[in-house]
Amino acid sequence: MSVSDATTALTEELAARDDMIVCEGVNKWFGDFQALDGITAVIKEREVVVVLGPSGSGKSTWIRCINRLEAHQEGRIVIDGVELTNDLRNIERIRSEVGMVFQQFNLFPHLTVLDNITLAPIWVRKKPKAEAEDLARSLLERVGIPEQAEKYPGQLSGGQQQRVAIARALAMEPRIMLFDEPTSALDPEMIKEVLDVMKELALSGMTMMVVTHEMGFAREVADRVIFMEDGQIVETGTPEHFFTSPQEERTKLFLSQIL
Amino acid sequence: MTAPMGDPAATVVDPAEAWAGEQEPARKPEEPSLSAGEWLSKNLFSSAVNSVLTVVFTLLVLLAVRGLLNFTFSEERTWRAVKTNMRFLFTHAYPQEQYIRIWVCVGAIAVMSGLSVGLLARTGAGISLKKLSMNLMGTGGVIGLGILLREPSAMVDDEGMALHGDPAAAVGDSFVGWLDANALAVLGVLVLANVALAAWFHLQGTYLRDGPEPRVAHGVLMLASVGVLIVQQYATGEIVRESFADAMADRAWWWLGAVVLAGSGAALWFGLGDARRRNTFVPAIHVFFAGAGIMVLSAWLYPWGHYAFLEGEFISEPGSTVAMTTKLPWTVMWALLVGTFLLGRALSTAGAVSRLRVPLNLLWVMTPFVLYWAVLRDPDLDWDHVLSTDIPMAVFFAVFGGLVVWYLTHPRIGEAGRIMAVVLVGVAVLNWVAAYFGWYPMLQKARISFLLLAVVALLAHNFAGDRTQRLRLVAAWVAIMAVFHWLVTLVNSPSTVETPTDALIGGFGITLIVAVFTLLAAFPLGVLLALARTSKLPIFRVLSTAYIEVFRGVPLITILFFFTLIFNLFLPDNMSLTDIAGATIGFALFSAAYLAENVRGGLQAVRQGQYEASDAVGLTTVQRTLFIVLPQSLRVSIPPLVGQVIATFKETSLLAVVGIFDFLRIADKVISAQSEFLGVKREGLLFASFIYWIFAYNMSKHSQRLEKRLGVGER
Repeated sequence: MSVSDATTALTEELAARDDMIVCEGVNKWFGDFQALDGITAVIKEREVVVVLGPSGSGKSTWIRCINRLEAHQEGRIVIDGVELTNDLRNIERIRSEVGMVFQQFNLFPHLTVLDNITLAPIWVRKKPKAEAEDLARSLLERVGIPEQAEKYPGQLSGGQQQRVAIARALAMEPRIMLFDEPTSALDPEMIKEVLDVMKELALSGMTMMVVTHEMGFAREVADRVIFMEDGQIVETGTPEHFFTSPQEERTKLFLSQIL
Repeated sequence: MTAPMGDPAATVVDPAEAWAGEQEPARKPEEPSLSAGEWLSKNLFSSAVNSVLTVVFTLLVLLAVRGLLNFTFSEERTWRAVKTNMRFLFTHAYPQEQYIRIWVCVGAIAVMSGLSVGLLARTGAGISLKKLSMNLMGTGGVIGLGILLREPSAMVDDEGMALHGDPAAAVGDSFVGWLDANALAVLGVLVLANVALAAWFHLQGTYLRDGPEPRVAHGVLMLASVGVLIVQQYATGEIVRESFADAMADRAWWWLGAVVLAGSGAALWFGLGDARRRNTFVPAIHVFFAGAGIMVLSAWLYPWGHYAFLEGEFISEPGSTVAMTTKLPWTVMWALLVGTFLLGRALSTAGAVSRLRVPLNLLWVMTPFVLYWAVLRDPDLDWDHVLSTDIPMAVFFAVFGGLVVWYLTHPRIGEAGRIMAVVLVGVAVLNWVAAYFGWYPMLQKARISFLLLAVVALLAHNFAGDRTQRLRLVAAWVAIMAVFHWLVTLVNSPSTVETPTDALIGGFGITLIVAVFTLLAAFPLGVLLALARTSKLPIFRVLSTAYIEVFRGVPLITILFFFTLIFNLFLPDNMSLTDIAGATIGFALFSAAYLAENVRGGLQAVRQGQYEASDAVGLTTVQRTLFIVLPQSLRVSIPPLVGQVIATFKETSLLAVVGIFDFLRIADKVISAQSEFLGVKREGLLFASFIYWIFAYNMSKHSQRLEKRLGVGER
């Protein structure tokens, strides 16, 4: 099967699924600097999309716009049928459906691992405490660190902290997970444990948007790779297409620099 | 998996760090303890410059200590003035026959402290036996040195007047006389000799070697200097003084104390032969209980003397033990403290800590209110009014508010909840407007209750949850209403305790009360101001900034005068503030401005990522502030906050200026005006400084422990 056949097959298969994230002509400026320039993309249900690009290309800004940590200035962002506007109720709804994992983990240092995970289910999802704790423990089991529940984040290694952060996001039972360079702040030997959790998550059918430099992950797990530069989407395609026969000069240049 | 290709800086491996996460660190070898000589040469005489600095500053310290000792123990001091006026100093004119109330208060605090420490204190924290024995020996040694340094007492005649001799005949005759006349010059020569010695050894390069010679040489010169300081005082000047032998015999009790302390320290040290046993830890609290126990025991055994100022009579019985009304209550206090500590320990072992922590903290917050209004004031309740109005109103607000809370914390309350909250805010505002224009009468506490309910209604949706959670919130509201209405009823009832001044209590009592209430009011206000100042809403930011800048820009004394003298003019006709209430408000508003700045510093220390993570999991602004931002920022701002608490505690001495009989005013003005002690001020002031210092020092120590303990969860 040729590369273009695979792409066509993917496109047909995806067309049948629901749109989870729709961006239409999204523009964003920081002062005079245009960080996002006409971003248009659709991410389907159960799709795993990896966003690549040199630093400063706007990958993180884009992903942060999707749960309104940054506000876009022009264009439309629709998450699972709800448009992101200044309406606080929409923002609240979208945030409780979109989980996010940060480069710097951003765990709450004054709470135990268990409290980190149960806080939002209890206070945002209004779950009974016992139920939230059961959920948290099963999630810790899932990310492979059930024995760390009573510790504080500062007592864990970077990889363990990031896995707790994933569990914390999952505890909200989100329909979409955003990963903003989840392994960039980790020591090499801890990267694998986090990527394994992410792979497992992808296989379970979670809709995922991942900003990363992990080419191995992109090749192995991604349904689609989006390459960005200077706030624009330069090229989109399956990992096979992207790594073996990129069309754009800028993509080729980027790949030649990192591979 | 492919090699990481991210930012190279982020993926540099530090092998040591990578290991630390997964392996138990190797046991740290026992640090060999330095011998005294090694310690000296390492810390005090490590180089020529350090040696000279050590010598000069040791002499300065000794001179200062000698001055303080001579001041304290001089025959010109009338310490009887302080001893006689203990009651005055601590409670001023609180009536004698009601004194049991004071002891109930102290007892309540002892019980609470004992329970808290027993329940919450870490068992691991403590003093090593090594340190304890060294402290004992050190204290004994310092006392011994003090006994030697102090000047000899003057010889007195039958009436207690110092005997005067012929100064011309005394000085210069003997070696001691010559030394006294030329003491400064001799000390100067000794210091210069030290400097020369240091220079010589430095040129030889000896400081870098192990040889003991420089230390020994400096030591001999230092001993000579101390000798000069001691011997000089035995020159007979204008006043005839006792001989060295007599002075030492006079200080036999002190010697005994010094020897017992140093001896028990030494016994502990040598009794525990090896280093491992010396490093055993004993809980600091046990040492404290033992010390307090010895003090209490001494009240029964040692003739401290019985001094009092009762019903206009000065009592002075030097030979007896202290009065039964002093030693009995203190013994009970000690027993309460130790007993509740043991109870707390037992509860802690039984695993009750997690359930008792919150109630205990709430009790601490309640304690000042209950002790002041219920115990000290002994309110005269109007039972008819209580039954006809107070209780029904409290029940109404508890039930009505409880229903509102139950309704508004439903997980899917939505728009109806917001409308209801707005309606309640409207009612609350209307009540206050009505009060201003006199439209309809309403009890003040009903207005406040409505306001509280409106605030709760506005916040309720943030705390919505399942059934148990909602029930807990309703219970909290009912408890708040019960306590609030009970306290208001107490505050509105007249006191049955009659005192000669307007104030219920004075002295150190009022100092503590004002300080505690100031802080209880200033803390929440300061946190709110800090939050407002960092708020996104400009109106809050401007108001808070204006408030903080105004109160920080005006001298505290001005604010106090305003609230004690002028503020009453602005109040409606039927309302007025007592001086103490006014002063407390002034202190609270002033401290709040400073606390706000400290908290703001903490708020800025919370990382941006924490806000983003809270937003990403969908917390509301109120939840983010309460659960994430404030806990972290308050922890960071503990050191400056405690600094502010200590400052506030000491600033209460300005109460003296606005005409309240606080601790300082009694020490300064009241005692010196008594017929028995006309003009005696220095003793009272020294004593007052000592007590202030004890409290401030303990607060600062406690904050250091708190910092360490809270540091556990830090990154």
